[in-house]
Amino acid sequence: MEQKTKNRIIIIISAIIIIAGIAIAITKGFNFELKYENSNKIELNLGQEFNNEDIKVVAEEQLNGQKVIIQKVEEFADTVSIVTKSISEEQKNNIVTKVNEKYETEIDAEKIEITPVQHVRGRDLIKPYIKPFSIATILILVYMAFRYNKIGVLKTIIKTIIILALTQLILFSIMAITRIPVGRLTIPLVIIVYVTSLIAIATDFEKKLQSVKNEDKE
Amino acid sequence: MKKVKILTIILIIILITMVSFLGVYMQKQNRMENNVKDYSYAMDLKGARNIKLKVSQESRDVVRDANGTEIMDAEDLTDEKIQEKGYTKQSEPYNSENVQKAENYKKSKELIEQRLEKMGVESYEISVNEQNGEILIQVPENTDTDRIVSNINTIGNFKIIDTQTNEVLMNNNDIKLANVIYGSDSTAKGTGVYLNIEFTKEGAKKLEEISNIYVEKEEEETEDSDSEEKSEDTDSEETEEETEEKTITMMIDNETMIKTSFDEPMTDGSIQLNIGSATTDVETLSDYMTQASNIAVILDNGELPLKYDIDENKYIMSDITDKYIQYIEIGVAGIILIGIIILMFKYKANGILSSISYIGLVSIFLLLLRYTNVVISIQGIFGIAITLALNYIFVNKVLSKINNLEVQSNKSQVSVAIKESYKEFFIKIIPVCIATIVFCFVEWTYISSFGMVMFWGILLIALYNYVITNTILKIRAEE
Repeated sequence: MEQKTKNRIIIIISAIIIIAGIAIAITKGFNFELKYENSNKIELNLGQEFNNEDIKVVAEEQLNGQKVIIQKVEEFADTVSIVTKSISEEQKNNIVTKVNEKYETEIDAEKIEITPVQHVRGRDLIKPYIKPFSIATILILVYMAFRYNKIGVLKTIIKTIIILALTQLILFSIMAITRIPVGRLTIPLVIIVYVTSLIAIATDFEKKLQSVKNEDKE
Repeated sequence: MKKVKILTIILIIILITMVSFLGVYMQKQNRMENNVKDYSYAMDLKGARNIKLKVSQESRDVVRDANGTEIMDAEDLTDEKIQEKGYTKQSEPYNSENVQKAENYKKSKELIEQRLEKMGVESYEISVNEQNGEILIQVPENTDTDRIVSNINTIGNFKIIDTQTNEVLMNNNDIKLANVIYGSDSTAKGTGVYLNIEFTKEGAKKLEEISNIYVEKEEEETEDSDSEEKSEDTDSEETEEETEEKTITMMIDNETMIKTSFDEPMTDGSIQLNIGSATTDVETLSDYMTQASNIAVILDNGELPLKYDIDENKYIMSDITDKYIQYIEIGVAGIILIGIIILMFKYKANGILSSISYIGLVSIFLLLLRYTNVVISIQGIFGIAITLALNYIFVNKVLSKINNLEVQSNKSQVSVAIKESYKEFFIKIIPVCIATIVFCFVEWTYISSFGMVMFWGILLIALYNYVITNTILKIRAEE
């Protein structure tokens, strides 16, 4: 298959992914990780060591399979924090009963409060990364402009910006389409795509620079 | 001899690998303890202090004069004295219903965020409930955490008032910046720590006016107030002296910081408050620094529009447990294993030697991360994965170049192949190196974790392969 045909196919597939991603992001939004959604929390003081997995099984069973975050609280780690999207009084009582049965504790369900947990906004999640990424990208563009000036300064800069932006757009589109939760793994994924794109761009430009140099020699 | 050299290198790699993955155990108080330093984990992998701030619904007693002006320092006034002076005392909520609105909740969150940044908190999470103003903050657990917690809900109301009339002469709006400065303290004959408050153009003008008025009219004012005060009943001579002196009071959150009069006109638009001095005691000086810097941070960012109470303050461990981290380690180890098996099959003896060398790099890299105190976060883990992938690409490139040589046993040709691989590989990752260096200097743990991991990783790829992989392959070529 010719390179041009390959490129066309890649562009068409990317365009489809981006359009679908944008459409889903607008209509359905992103699927946020539980940590980044409004949720409810209960804390049970077991007074003894426990296994997060055991509590998770109990909680998920009583919460009809809802996602839960289980965390140990304080230095002695004898209190469990259970966070989930929503907990009813009945579900709370059932969780307490099951935990009491399992750990032979006497936790009074009446005394356990369901507290709402306000989510961290997506924009607050991204905010600290904007400045470093912008500075790094500007410095990289300056380097690219110097290193590959024989290919064309403007062409190099524009191509780098477009590829960096498009790859990130594709990543977020895939996340929107596949409903991969936006959360703690999002930024690491953004970084991986960023690093990979940079290496790909540099590899491509090096090839082009080499061919320009060869042409000059000839 | 060449075989001995290769064997020695392999043995060293095995030794380092054992230290890195298994540890060095020594007896300590009847138990065996691993002497290899542990990793430092970031908040996302270790846990965080969870602080919940609630909008205060409490009230306070406020004493006002006949004009309705609040009387500062009224704690000492008895009910009789209040009546005598014609003041009124009533209970007022800290946060009236008018101020309990979404706009103020959001502003409070922003101000707290700014304070956290100024206090040097390198990773935090903050959210606000716009319905009831509850703010949830997560900060890393370390020696600074309690200091952060104690400053987080300070309102930061700054006032310079006339001690006698309680007239507010200056407030937060007049502050341009607040910071901490050192200087020699001639009185204490040591180093003094000062809280430096610089005022805005308007504020500087006000300060100059105030300092001029107070300096020039000090004696007159004292006389005037003397005559006024004579008509009032005074209990002791000491109280009389206090009321006679014309002074200003600098207050933060209704607590008196300093009561003073100006010796000379303040023309430079700034005030330096001596927080403390010490001659040689570094610890005392550091305490003063912390104290001054806490006040500076609060003043520098403005006043919280609401009074917040700390409702919850507890350490909650990460939901990413050791078990999850073990799964990740097993996953990465599995991928590495597949990778080195491919190298072995593809490049035979060179592949085997390079694979051993690769394992050595992984071991040294992990030790390096421990001893250079790199904070490992989720981003850092991805940084480790990227470094290992980059090293694999590099080793593969070197082996592929050697494989393509006509005479693989020619040491100089192998050397040229390695040099070419270096050049080709590192020129392609220069943009990544630029990003890595930028990320290293970012004061945000998660991104600096990635930056630091990548920095040491790339440095190690360059040095380690030059010293070990290069040597092994050259010795093998000599064979």
